Amino acid sequence: MNAWTGTILRVDLAAKTIKKEPLNMKDAHDYVGARGLGTKYFCDEVDPLVDPLSPDNKLIFMTGPLTGTAAGCGGRYEVVAKAPLTGTIGAANSGGHFGPELKFAGYDGIIIENASETPVYLYVNDDAVELRDASDLWGKTVYDTTDTLQEALGNFKISCIGPTGEKLCLYAGVMNEKHRAAGRGGLGAVMGSKKLKAIAVRGTGSVTVARPEKFMEAVIDARAKLKAHPVTGTGLGALGTEVLVNIINESGALPLRNWRDGSVFDKADDTSGETLSKTYLVKSKGCFGCPIACGRVTNVPDGPFKSFGEGPEYEAGWSYGADCGVNDLAAIVHANHLCNEYGMDPITLGSTIACAMELSEMGALPESDVGFKLRFGDAQAIVDLTEAVGKNEGFGKELAKGSYRLAEKYGHPELSMSVKKQEMPAYDGRAVQGMALEYATSNRGGCHVRGYLTSPEILGVPVKTDPLVTEGKAALLKLFQDLTSLVDASGTCLFTTFALGLPEIAAEYREAVGSDETDEEILLKGERIWNLEKRFNIAAGVEKDTLPPRLLREKLPSGPAKGRVAELYTMLEEYYTLRGWDKEGVPTQDKLSQLGI
Amino acid sequence: MKVRFFATYRDITHVSELEVPAPKSVRGLLLLLSERYGPDLRDKILSPDRSALGRDAIVLVNGRHIFHLDGLDTPLDESSTVAIFPLIAGG
Repeated sequence: MNAWTGTILRVDLAAKTIKKEPLNMKDAHDYVGARGLGTKYFCDEVDPLVDPLSPDNKLIFMTGPLTGTAAGCGGRYEVVAKAPLTGTIGAANSGGHFGPELKFAGYDGIIIENASETPVYLYVNDDAVELRDASDLWGKTVYDTTDTLQEALGNFKISCIGPTGEKLCLYAGVMNEKHRAAGRGGLGAVMGSKKLKAIAVRGTGSVTVARPEKFMEAVIDARAKLKAHPVTGTGLGALGTEVLVNIINESGALPLRNWRDGSVFDKADDTSGETLSKTYLVKSKGCFGCPIACGRVTNVPDGPFKSFGEGPEYEAGWSYGADCGVNDLAAIVHANHLCNEYGMDPITLGSTIACAMELSEMGALPESDVGFKLRFGDAQAIVDLTEAVGKNEGFGKELAKGSYRLAEKYGHPELSMSVKKQEMPAYDGRAVQGMALEYATSNRGGCHVRGYLTSPEILGVPVKTDPLVTEGKAALLKLFQDLTSLVDASGTCLFTTFALGLPEIAAEYREAVGSDETDEEILLKGERIWNLEKRFNIAAGVEKDTLPPRLLREKLPSGPAKGRVAELYTMLEEYYTLRGWDKEGVPTQDKLSQLGI
Repeated sequence: MKVRFFATYRDITHVSELEVPAPKSVRGLLLLLSERYGPDLRDKILSPDRSALGRDAIVLVNGRHIFHLDGLDTPLDESSTVAIFPLIAGG
């Protein structure tokens, strides 16, 4: 098969049956793969009103056509389910080597149905596929689960949940190779609700493509551009994503103390990529087929926050750092390691702690509920509360529900810095107007990788557009959303887009699958994916596109965007018009028909 | 006025921040810094003919990219803060 294995595994955890069925090639053509194809399968098979933590929710692991090929950064796979944190379509992707290994074993994806009564893991060793007892793994951390399975099985690639997934923490992630995460929305809790602890995969095959010579020409061209570009060739490998801390702060867009105190942090450099590289960085690390190597292997060698692991990424570093008013990098690194170990999303957890800090300082959250006096800037608190969520103890049980439910319980839902109940990361929409529109319209709630207008607005890549203006942002965002949908669906990493555009990505896709479609026809598949996700959310009854009132009403007190609010409603109507949706943001039947949905 | 260096530029300047008398414009500042730190920095922050910003440099004046101000002619005064970055990204 061209770029595909042609086989999907369908696993019924209640009936304990495993079926191998042919890949739906029409859907693979129309929805590309990974995020798009996984969402298509999901939408065809699951009621949008399903309870995310019920057996009727399905959990889909899906690779893309470029996953496991020679394409640069072709190591991604997507996890799709209805997300318990948001109630939206949940789609989160991850790198490492798990996705390619699944294809090498002979499978494009896995559809998990129903729930097991007792803990199990899925064993996939080429043709041999079995459900096995996981009672001895239940309760183990991500690290221990991975080590235990690899000691027993050998060099298998492991995707699993930690204790937080078992305990249904609403932002538990699906973790592979210990440190890589399909992190957002709580898909790990869906896996936990099904009593599926892990998937262990070993594959000895390979992925073939339709036009090998032309494919390699496209790959060589793309890889040369990745190598030559200052961001993908040197910058991200040297300093990681934490290099953003200073430029976002200098631009007045680094949200401080639950976005309460503006977006300029006078201690930002203490938590930057530059500082990390001089302190706790051991080495950089890449995923399958990755020439960028943005991953950070980090070690805090001694002191109260002694730990070894990976990360943080910029957004995780921000949530525990500026958002909590903390500038102790050792504590931030340690808290991030704990998130990987327990298997949870550090963006949501750090932001939820920040929300609790504000509630506590204003007197809405009693000290007796937390167990100590919680204040912004408390480095020990971010570590202790992360442990509490990881172990599902004390106040950690409240934090495990995310900031919206926490703030609502204590009478101030407006203090949750979230969209559709998922926390917005690290870029203040009052200072970066396009990001405000992006957060409001993201199909999985507050998210920075459903478009990433920070790139043109702050970094000037691939074009320079003023972050303080609203003109032109709707059109730019639509293009970025459609393109990032396509990239996610292809099975490659979004970071390639700092150096590559539609022509390079479309060329790799075309030669891999054997298509003669134009670039524009291929980009249209990204738009199709976006509309399918939106249609699901409308049917699921997800709330309208908006932002927390703080962004709409409270002016930034300082920095280059001083006096600004997020001018969302200046951009939103134009955005809906460009999308071909009605004024309420609902895709019209004409639009859906035009896209073949 | 203040000048701040970030990311790999710090490996050239060996300082993260310095104070200098304010030149009239960003152009004057970049020429001043080019003299002080030599070709290693100059070739990054200025184009080969020194008439434009280096292709892979980002210069902010009081937090605003000079592309959205007056480019190299963006005026400076003693209260200005200029932040200079190589092209970086993440997310």
